[in-house]
Amino acid sequence: MVDNLLETMTPRKQTEQRIELVYGTLDMLILRTLRWGPTHGHGIAKAIERMSDENLKVEHGSLYPALQRLQQEGWIAAEWGVSKTNRRARYYRLTAAGRRQLISETSRWERFVRAIAGVLGGARSEEAK
Amino acid sequence: MSWRRQLSKLRQLFNRQTPADLNEEMRSHLEMEEDENRDAGMSPEEAHYAALRRFGNVTLAAEKSRDMWRWHSIETLLQDIRYGLRQIWRSPGFAISAVLTLMLGIGANTAIFSVVNAVVLRPLPYPEPDKIVAAYLVNPRDPAFRSSHGFEDFKAARDRQKSFSSFAAVEQGRPSFTWTGGKEPVQVPGTAVTAEFFSVLGVSPALGRSFAAGEDVPGREHEVVLSHAFWQQHFGSDPLVVGRSITLDGASHIIVGVMPAGFHFGVRDNDDLWPLMQLPTLNRRPPYFIQPFGRLKPGVSEAQAEADLSNIAADVQRQFPNSEYSEARIDPLKNMIVGEARMPLLVLLGAVVLVLLIATVNVANLEIAQASARDREMAIRAALGAGRGRIARLVLTESILLAALGGVLGLLLAYGGVTALRALAPGGLPRLKEITVDGQVLAFTAAVSLVSGVLFGLAPLTRGFGSWLNGAEALRGGTQNLSEQRERRGLRNALIILEVSLSLVLLIGAGLLLRSFERLTNTSPGFNSQSLVSGRVSVPKTRYPKEEHIVAFYDQLLERIQHLPNVTAAGLTLSLPPNLLNLTNPFWVPGQPTSEGMNLPLAVETSVSLDYFRTLGIPLLRGRLFTDADRGRSDGILVINNTIAQRYFPNQDPVGQRIKTGGASADNPWETIIGVVGDVKYTGLDSAPDPTLYVPYFAGGWTSFSRKMFLVVRTSGDPKNLVSALRTAVQELDSDMPLANIHTMDELLSNSVAQPRFRMLLIAIFASMALLLATVGIFGVMAYVVSRRTREIGVRMALGASRGSVMGMVLGEGLRIVLIGVAIGLVEALALSRLIKSWLFNVQPLDPVTFLGVSLMVIIVAAWACYVPARRATKVDPIVTLRYE
Repeated sequence: MVDNLLETMTPRKQTEQRIELVYGTLDMLILRTLRWGPTHGHGIAKAIERMSDENLKVEHGSLYPALQRLQQEGWIAAEWGVSKTNRRARYYRLTAAGRRQLISETSRWERFVRAIAGVLGGARSEEAK
Repeated sequence: MSWRRQLSKLRQLFNRQTPADLNEEMRSHLEMEEDENRDAGMSPEEAHYAALRRFGNVTLAAEKSRDMWRWHSIETLLQDIRYGLRQIWRSPGFAISAVLTLMLGIGANTAIFSVVNAVVLRPLPYPEPDKIVAAYLVNPRDPAFRSSHGFEDFKAARDRQKSFSSFAAVEQGRPSFTWTGGKEPVQVPGTAVTAEFFSVLGVSPALGRSFAAGEDVPGREHEVVLSHAFWQQHFGSDPLVVGRSITLDGASHIIVGVMPAGFHFGVRDNDDLWPLMQLPTLNRRPPYFIQPFGRLKPGVSEAQAEADLSNIAADVQRQFPNSEYSEARIDPLKNMIVGEARMPLLVLLGAVVLVLLIATVNVANLEIAQASARDREMAIRAALGAGRGRIARLVLTESILLAALGGVLGLLLAYGGVTALRALAPGGLPRLKEITVDGQVLAFTAAVSLVSGVLFGLAPLTRGFGSWLNGAEALRGGTQNLSEQRERRGLRNALIILEVSLSLVLLIGAGLLLRSFERLTNTSPGFNSQSLVSGRVSVPKTRYPKEEHIVAFYDQLLERIQHLPNVTAAGLTLSLPPNLLNLTNPFWVPGQPTSEGMNLPLAVETSVSLDYFRTLGIPLLRGRLFTDADRGRSDGILVINNTIAQRYFPNQDPVGQRIKTGGASADNPWETIIGVVGDVKYTGLDSAPDPTLYVPYFAGGWTSFSRKMFLVVRTSGDPKNLVSALRTAVQELDSDMPLANIHTMDELLSNSVAQPRFRMLLIAIFASMALLLATVGIFGVMAYVVSRRTREIGVRMALGASRGSVMGMVLGEGLRIVLIGVAIGLVEALALSRLIKSWLFNVQPLDPVTFLGVSLMVIIVAAWACYVPARRATKVDPIVTLRYE
């Protein structure tokens, strides 16, 4: 375990430019990913990276507590399956409740983004004057 | 956390992802990443490490995932407990004072709650106790007064009612039976009952049988059921006792059964005998001295039963048109048994809750002082990433540990307390035998400990300790900032104010009761109580069937006793002051209204021997007393007390006037007043003197009442020395006659105020505990404040402040808080003192002397508690404190 710890403590030069996730958005991203169909943890991680053009910094490990939480909320369900590469993996799928949650979260997020953008946009145009 | 998540957790408790599952999932994730990395051209080793880097801390992720499924992490809890114990161990002074304080508070609460639980809360110890109700008669013109039943009422109700599966009654006012046949006659406590008594209660005898319905009629053999204790003690648990006879009150009774151990009936929980009543047929409605109760049939409501019995009462009233009661009321049996004990017990419980509150406040203040010393520790914890919840849990675990220790010790204290309460409780407290420390009491103690632990544990988590929860900020310098200091001081002061005000309330309560008790014991009973002895004689019907036999016996008895050495006077009376009242009778004075159905005023009417007045020292105010010349008179004569004379004959001489007793009807004979004597109290020192009528014991018609009389004897020596001589005198006349309940009059006076004394004692104990705790609390806080301000005081003194001004500053600050507390306490006491109004005798609930005196006392004690630390402040050496800078 000790070498693992050392590993994660080394500076992550290559990821320095990535954006830190806003608290609570990981749940939304996971739900969003699962809209395309069931997949496993690794698949979710890869999908998030792809969707954000590698801009988002997601430690794969941090997915797992989030996956547990979403299962407890009843938004996703899981079962064991076999991956394309013939590995045993736990597949997660969106539940009906999860779908509703995603819709409401998304619209809230959009309102939030619009509001922030409005404030920042105003600031920029003032500066331009 | 949403309820859905909680539910899901609960489900997953049994069906959750196992750690092995989770590990496998993560391993498969890492392998997939490695696969991809290798596909992208990395060496296997490179691919492995890149995957790990991408994943982050595997252990942490696994731990956090698992934590998602946990309610409480048991390991964390154990860790907190270990840490808490270590913390307690490290500051034993704090821990000991906190635990002792809590022990007092929780112990007192547990003890009093045990009593309240057993007497008031617990259902009666019979099957389906809610179904058992007591029945009363009322006069619709005066519905507040509930009367017992007469024989005709009871028989009518029992025979015609449709609402009860069984219906019974107990005889009131007869406390004991004389049991002869042993070594010497003894008085055994017991209650005469009707046939269905045991069926109503739903308890069957352990041995033999109970009475069968319809057996309670005259002319049969007398029957009795024994208590388990009596059977063990006097019959050696002989299984063949059923069918044997014992002699009670001179009549042979067949033992038909023995009750199971622990069986008892309400107020009379010392009863050992339940003889079967033989209901006579009288051609009148009174006397009202049997109390009925019944078990409701399934599905019959109390209102239906009341209507049913009211119809019967109305019928009986029509049968005896001169009587008053035409309606019935019913009430749960528990109310009859618990009755007046409820309110005092609840007030006592309130008082101990105040004590516990003060104890909790004290510990909260200790916690605050203790916690201030731990600012740095908590700041470090917060800086290292302990969340708010984590710190709160740590602190609460510690305080609940303290409270639990206090609770365990308090429980031990309560065991002792309950034993003492059972021993000290005055007679008349119902269900005394049921008082135990049981599961409910344990649950109460646990709850009380937990609540107080949480309450005082919250103190260091309030705003004044913001830096604990907000991380690194407080690390700088390790002390709290100014606003925090102010908030902590505010909290401490508020707690002191609360403490002072609550103890003031309790002390005022105790002060009122104390003053009331002092006045009570100083009231005159109306006679000279010194050097008097009294005892009870009962003349059995079997050997003294006729009136003249009884009179002859009493004459001989008095004759013998008067000639004993040191005896100066001896007399007999049916009712004995100060509170052993046996009979009241309505009376009518010509000129007073008598409309049909109106209740006539009641008088204490007692038959007395010639020398009764001289023996007690009751003064003759007018007219004359009874003499031997009155024997054999056919007309009734009375001596009245001053209350009747003043109330009904205000401007005339009552001597020679005629009145009627028992009723105003024309066929009722006149009785002539021959004298007026001073007022004597027969219904307790705390009541106003009742109208009282005296008749000579040889007067016709008094026989049935005069079988049991009190003997009173005045001696020139020590009353205690007279007891055996009196016993012998009675035994020489009749070897089967006991002299029971022998007491000196001073003992009787003292017994008569046992209840107020007990209440006063308990409240005074609780109030003293409160004052002690409050004093300790003030002292502790002031000492702490002074120690925190040592540097400031040093600076002030270096700059020229005099010792006097420093003293004034510290003392002034303390006293200001105390005065606010006293002011608030006075307001609280104004609101609460009426709760004990009914316990006060000749003292107003807002008695200014008590309010002022107690306030002054609290201020003085509190000033002392401030003065000692203040004096220490003046001893501060400015040089020494400044050198620390």
